Amino acid sequence: MRHLLGLGVASLILAGCSNGAPGEATEQQRGDGTDAIELAEFPDRPYWGDTHLHTDVSVDAFGFGVRLGPEDALKFARGEEVTATTGMSARLSRPLDFLVIADHSDAMGATRRLYDAPRMMVRDPTLRRWYDMMHESPEQSTRAVAELITAAANDEIPEALRDPERQAKATRELWDRHIDLLDRYNEPGKFTAFAGFEWTLMPGGNNLHRVVMFRDGSAKTGEVLPYPGLDGEVTGLWDYMDAYEESTGGKVLAIPHNSNLSNGMMFELTGPDGGAMSADYARRRAAREPVVEATQIKGDSETHPFLSPNDEFAGFGTAGWDLGNLPLTAKSTPDMFAGSYVRSALLRGLTLEEQLGVNPYAFGMIGSTDSHTALATGDEDNFFGKHTGNEPREGRAMEGQNLGTRVGRFGWHYLAGGYAAAWARGNTRAEIFDAFMRREVYATTGPRMVVRLFAGFDFSDADWDGDWVHAGYTRGVPMGGELEDRGKAPTFLISALKDPDGANLDRVQVVKGWVDANGEAREKVYDVAWSARPMDAASDSPVSAVGDTVNRKEATYENSIGAAELRKTWTDPDYVRGQRAFYYVRVIEIPTPTWVLFDAKRFGLNLPENVIEANVIQERAYSSPVWLRPRKTPGDAPPIMDKG
Amino acid sequence: MIRKLLRDPLAHFLIAGAVIWGVLALAGDPVDPEQRKITLSREQQAGLALAFERTMGRPPSDAELDARIAQWEREEVLYREALRLGLDEGDPVVKRRLATKMDELAGAQAELAQPSDAELRDYYRDHGGDYELGGMLDFEQAYFPTEDAARSAMGQDRPRGDAISLPRNVARMRSADIERIFGIDFAEAMMRLGVSPEWQGPVPSGYGWHLVRISRREEGSIPPLELVRDKVERDWRSNTIQARREKAYQLLRDAYTIEVE
Repeated sequence: MRHLLGLGVASLILAGCSNGAPGEATEQQRGDGTDAIELAEFPDRPYWGDTHLHTDVSVDAFGFGVRLGPEDALKFARGEEVTATTGMSARLSRPLDFLVIADHSDAMGATRRLYDAPRMMVRDPTLRRWYDMMHESPEQSTRAVAELITAAANDEIPEALRDPERQAKATRELWDRHIDLLDRYNEPGKFTAFAGFEWTLMPGGNNLHRVVMFRDGSAKTGEVLPYPGLDGEVTGLWDYMDAYEESTGGKVLAIPHNSNLSNGMMFELTGPDGGAMSADYARRRAAREPVVEATQIKGDSETHPFLSPNDEFAGFGTAGWDLGNLPLTAKSTPDMFAGSYVRSALLRGLTLEEQLGVNPYAFGMIGSTDSHTALATGDEDNFFGKHTGNEPREGRAMEGQNLGTRVGRFGWHYLAGGYAAAWARGNTRAEIFDAFMRREVYATTGPRMVVRLFAGFDFSDADWDGDWVHAGYTRGVPMGGELEDRGKAPTFLISALKDPDGANLDRVQVVKGWVDANGEAREKVYDVAWSARPMDAASDSPVSAVGDTVNRKEATYENSIGAAELRKTWTDPDYVRGQRAFYYVRVIEIPTPTWVLFDAKRFGLNLPENVIEANVIQERAYSSPVWLRPRKTPGDAPPIMDKG
Repeated sequence: MIRKLLRDPLAHFLIAGAVIWGVLALAGDPVDPEQRKITLSREQQAGLALAFERTMGRPPSDAELDARIAQWEREEVLYREALRLGLDEGDPVVKRRLATKMDELAGAQAELAQPSDAELRDYYRDHGGDYELGGMLDFEQAYFPTEDAARSAMGQDRPRGDAISLPRNVARMRSADIERIFGIDFAEAMMRLGVSPEWQGPVPSGYGWHLVRISRREEGSIPPLELVRDKVERDWRSNTIQARREKAYQLLRDAYTIEVE
């Protein structure tokens, strides 16, 4: 007992000292990267990153068992080898260029503190039960977190975990250390470490989560704390963001994700109170949330077969996830889907814009992982799991993976995770953040294909012979941009280059959405370029299937089909003057095996036929859209492109 | 010698432990009513108020501050009584938590420490490979979808190749960037080829086949310490924290005899 007191004293002394620790990040590393490196004239390459990674600071990740923290996460993303929580060594085959560590702001560090606390200090009976479960075994720990997420969804989180004041001091220490660490790993020109957090709004278990991402270094992000969200409102988050920008002169954006688990609440036609959406709400949403995470481990949110029955490639990564909300406490019904998927949201945006004069859902698209292992893995042959409970091991593919107690979601429903690509002039906080703001970003389900999209009115095939990127930027707008209707069909320069270490390309498509003369929202998918088919006679849509070289047993495929690059100058054949429209590009790879087949090979599993077939997939990329808008009238929102 | 010892964080660690042990040994059993006196200083109160302000964006009202003080008192009283009752004993979490704190104690010294030039140089010497920059090339390439097409263009003065969105001319590109743009196989093959005015190849890539002409080649190298000092210091720190923990543990561990039956 005496010794305990003594140690308490000693650690207090040390804690006091560490506040005065000298910072070691350089001035450049602490800033936003402006003037730190030489920039290209135009964005010259996509920078690859993950904006949605959890570490042991996240309340659920820690409970799921992860013991790797933010420093391990940064090292791993930069390409270094680390030892995963379950003891295996882990490394990315190719490093990432940027990372947003997005630990949950609610109870940040709390499970870790709960876990570390003396048991007798845990007074709340629910907390104490979770506490005991966490210490009993990894399985029990996972169950405790599942209960915690369900409790959060049902608004039953114990007061001790959610009270922001009680958490504040602990959060302050954690956040200050964290943003200092980020600065140390932030190297303009080489690797960008963004400050951020996940804001976990979840009324009734419907996922309205956002990742919040800061443009700035610790001098500014140290002025605030992560904003808690369990029982908030999204306008409260935007107030917080406004206040941050006003008081620090910094910049911050929010990225909604897992709309597929929101039961229609992520992209509603109404305002958050159920009444008509106000123009002010729409304007704030568009300004604060320029990008949506369309694909990640917990499924893909591009579109659902119910919404897009004529789209033969719809339904990627929807199986299992379309059964209900995040903890499966409420089932999904088809009438909810339009508010849960991004393509229908983009359509709703057009309709709302006609009514309100401003489009709340004019967002770009990215992918990310949402990994809770501190390991930002996106490749099928290197999947380290959604959380530590399903890091590589024999049983993970076939086990139930329900956060709640109802059945329906299994390990094999997890996707390996997506990545975000940002077209920027250099690898700095400012350049990449600004690419997000102007939506010059795209999503992939993991592979690193290079996707270009320019829209204008005078592009032609001849542009491909010269410096077509220069032509694209000077005579048109890149992905994420807006075109003003000139009474003429828009023309697009589209290029998709395969991942040099991945599969060939099957086809490139343009997805168009518009509002017709009757005010009805419509969508159409055009095949615009495709690889040579073995017996290709007809070049008309629908284009025949590319074929399938996947060896199910060996988890291999051959690049004997598909193309290395697909290019097209494409003009909208169905253009109608004055119609609002958006156009985005979808790039489809040839079929490849998922992580489940790699697992089956590695562990010698006998999987059911339907699971095997569901795990031969065509990975893809989604560009951010270009919008075609009627000629500007006074009162329209200002143009998005900021050339300054 | 003494001075050097005094600067050694490990010495601090052990001395602090000895002092604490000594104080506690003298303090005797804590039954004195004086032991039940708790003081919340002005500074600590200001700390509570500041913590409130940082989250809520405004100073606390008197009532809110009172509530926080009451909560602080409650925690403090219960904590002390719990220790008196020995509730910490036999609790695996207390055990683990304290063990972690010991680890952190040992590591924390390194978090503060500024490495000397010599220490940094030593670390850099032992871990130079971590900072190695890959080789750098200047080259021109022509792309062909098949090996046959590439071979048949081999004799040409200036093979054109097929159109693809890859740079025709590449200047001063490091192997890591070559790998990023052309793929791993191509980068590895390229780093094995020498400078020549002739076209070489075909070299396979993730896209197909390439004829290449390499005009300049710089071998990979480890940059001088001055250029990577920040990085070396960061890594030195992270390694030293780990090493300190191990060393501190070993010192303590050596004093024990443990029999596992």
